[in-house]
Amino acid sequence: MNRVLADMKAFGTQYIRSRVGTFFALVFPILLILLFGAIFGSSGSSQVTLYVQDQDNQPASHAFTDALNKTNVLTIRAIPPSADFSQYIRDHSINVALQIPPGFQDALAKAENGTRATVNLTLAGDQTQSSYGIAVSAVDAVATAFNLQVAKAAPVVNILPTSVPGLRHLTYIDLFLPGIIGFTILSTPLFGMTAICAEYRSRRYFKLLATTKLSKAQWLAAKVVFHIVLLFVSVALMVLTGILVFGLKAVVTPMAILIIIAGTIEFTSLGMVLGIFVRDPETGAAIANAIGFPMMFLAGSFFPVDAMPSFLQAGARLLPLTYINEGLRATMTFGTDATAFIDLLVTLGFAVVFFVVAARGLSWKSR
Amino acid sequence: MSRLSGLKGLRARRPSNQSFSWGHRGRRDGGGDPTAEPVIDVRGLTKHYADIKAVDGISFEVEKGQMFSLLGPNGAGKTTTVEILEGLRDPTSGEARVLGVDVRKGYGKIRNRVGVLPQDFEPFDRLKPREAVAYWAHLFDRTLTKEEVAGLIRTVGLADRADTLAMNLSGGERRRLGIAMSLVGKPKLVFLDEPTTGLDPGARRELWGLIRQLKSEGTTILLTTHYLDEAEQLADDVAIMNHGKIVARGSPADLIAKHGQGHSIVLAGAGEDGLSAVRARGVVAELQGADVVVQVPLASDMRRMLEKLASIDTPLNEIYTRRASLEDVFLNLVGARMQEGVLAA
Repeated sequence: MNRVLADMKAFGTQYIRSRVGTFFALVFPILLILLFGAIFGSSGSSQVTLYVQDQDNQPASHAFTDALNKTNVLTIRAIPPSADFSQYIRDHSINVALQIPPGFQDALAKAENGTRATVNLTLAGDQTQSSYGIAVSAVDAVATAFNLQVAKAAPVVNILPTSVPGLRHLTYIDLFLPGIIGFTILSTPLFGMTAICAEYRSRRYFKLLATTKLSKAQWLAAKVVFHIVLLFVSVALMVLTGILVFGLKAVVTPMAILIIIAGTIEFTSLGMVLGIFVRDPETGAAIANAIGFPMMFLAGSFFPVDAMPSFLQAGARLLPLTYINEGLRATMTFGTDATAFIDLLVTLGFAVVFFVVAARGLSWKSR
Repeated sequence: MSRLSGLKGLRARRPSNQSFSWGHRGRRDGGGDPTAEPVIDVRGLTKHYADIKAVDGISFEVEKGQMFSLLGPNGAGKTTTVEILEGLRDPTSGEARVLGVDVRKGYGKIRNRVGVLPQDFEPFDRLKPREAVAYWAHLFDRTLTKEEVAGLIRTVGLADRADTLAMNLSGGERRRLGIAMSLVGKPKLVFLDEPTTGLDPGARRELWGLIRQLKSEGTTILLTTHYLDEAEQLADDVAIMNHGKIVARGSPADLIAKHGQGHSIVLAGAGEDGLSAVRARGVVAELQGADVVVQVPLASDMRRMLEKLASIDTPLNEIYTRRASLEDVFLNLVGARMQEGVLAA
């Protein structure tokens, strides 16, 4: 125990003196929170701007546009009825635009009188953009309401908007911050340990340590404990920034602390597993980047896994970071510890496997 | 006053069984105690890689208190041998016992009685000597007081630099820090693997002084080097290694007497003309570069030979006599010559 503490103290002293490590561990996540919070955190940005060209210009088409406006997810802007629809979209770099053709009101009137009639609305835009999807849903919902009204049908299924007792009023930062904590749990220990293993090998520190009574498992344990302390400091700074700057509602629960500890063991050990194969610092950085960066983006650090295409979602299930991100969101943001507990178990499983592989695989002896 | 005084002072403050001595108070003049178990006992040791016999069946013993040197050119197998004895490599075959235990199995028992300064030692850049020594002691399950740390740092002559980050120390200072770290466990045996390689002459001589003091405290030392003068200056006993084998063994004086060629007279810069003139007098000589060298196997023949050569009037720079050194032993045994002070294979 004494050896582990001494090794941790010496390692920590060097880490803090290196400054670069301290910057990436403590300052960088704060910068990310400030940056992403400023970009996505403002309230207006959740609304999609929909440009509407009303070529019919009758009470019915006005009512349709009003209904769109009342959905609260769309901000309506007008395109002059005389303008060339496609040309106008191109000229003004518009994401999504709706065209209501002449004869919109006539078609409704005919249908109301029992005559068969249809009218086609044109919704133009980049279909890969999420704003397009939101616009389609909103327009579809309003169109359905109109159709029901014309058919004189009463809706059977209704939605009653009701707030759930106990659920926090959440904002973007509440979903985003757990992801940034997950990102830090990956990046700080993984990149750090891979670089350290490379340095220890190229500078022969492993050989030097092999002449002492410190075992490999003790050396790894010292690094794990150090990174846990570092992550706690980092999370405290992040949460403080979230509360002070963005009014964060998500809370650091005991379950979140357990996930942070398990995740740090996991990625410190994984960094050392990669260190088994690393011979010099350049290869170390390349391997850590090759594994770390895709995981950061695919495991839902910056956006939820559910927002990704299904084949990527299946892939995300294989990534250890996914469970940390989802577990932290579940417990910190939604307060569902039962869900988070499963994520904790998966994370612990990965952690044990990586630790054992690292402690066995890394060789201090020469061959 | 000895540099070791810092440590000697500590001895009085500690119980006798924890005294900060570097080991037993052994013999000071080398040679070892024939009745005691050897500190290092190597028999038929081999280390083979796919196509290389790095160590090829060597045997030697190192007695308590001895300074034993493995001397050889780069690639001779010195470091491989030492790393086997340090428990860092497993041998292919043969037996190696250190402080009475088999290096393959028992190293856990003796780890804190063995100090190691590895080849190309590099300290931790962002630790100060004071911190590094205290840290290293913990890794041998020892907690040093501030005074003990300071004493050890004073011992290696780093008192002025105790609070300088290691990255700002000179090459010689780094090695001295390495020696201080190797001594935290109060070892009975210290391995110094090429401790002065890459240092300037001044730093080398300072380090020699430190190593001599270490030996005078009774510590057994295994020193590898490819500097002939280092082995000649420091070692009680030398084993010359080449291509994984020990080709000669003995004290520097014994080796020189046995494998050197006695004394020689050098007519520096005498050239071909000088060689002809010397040979005309019926003296056997050879040309080494521009120098004419005359071997004089018996010291008693020296005066007669000098008189014989004094009358040569060929232009030359100087005449001097030379006693055989380990370099001559090398030339004879290994065929190795010195290049910039280092042995070349």
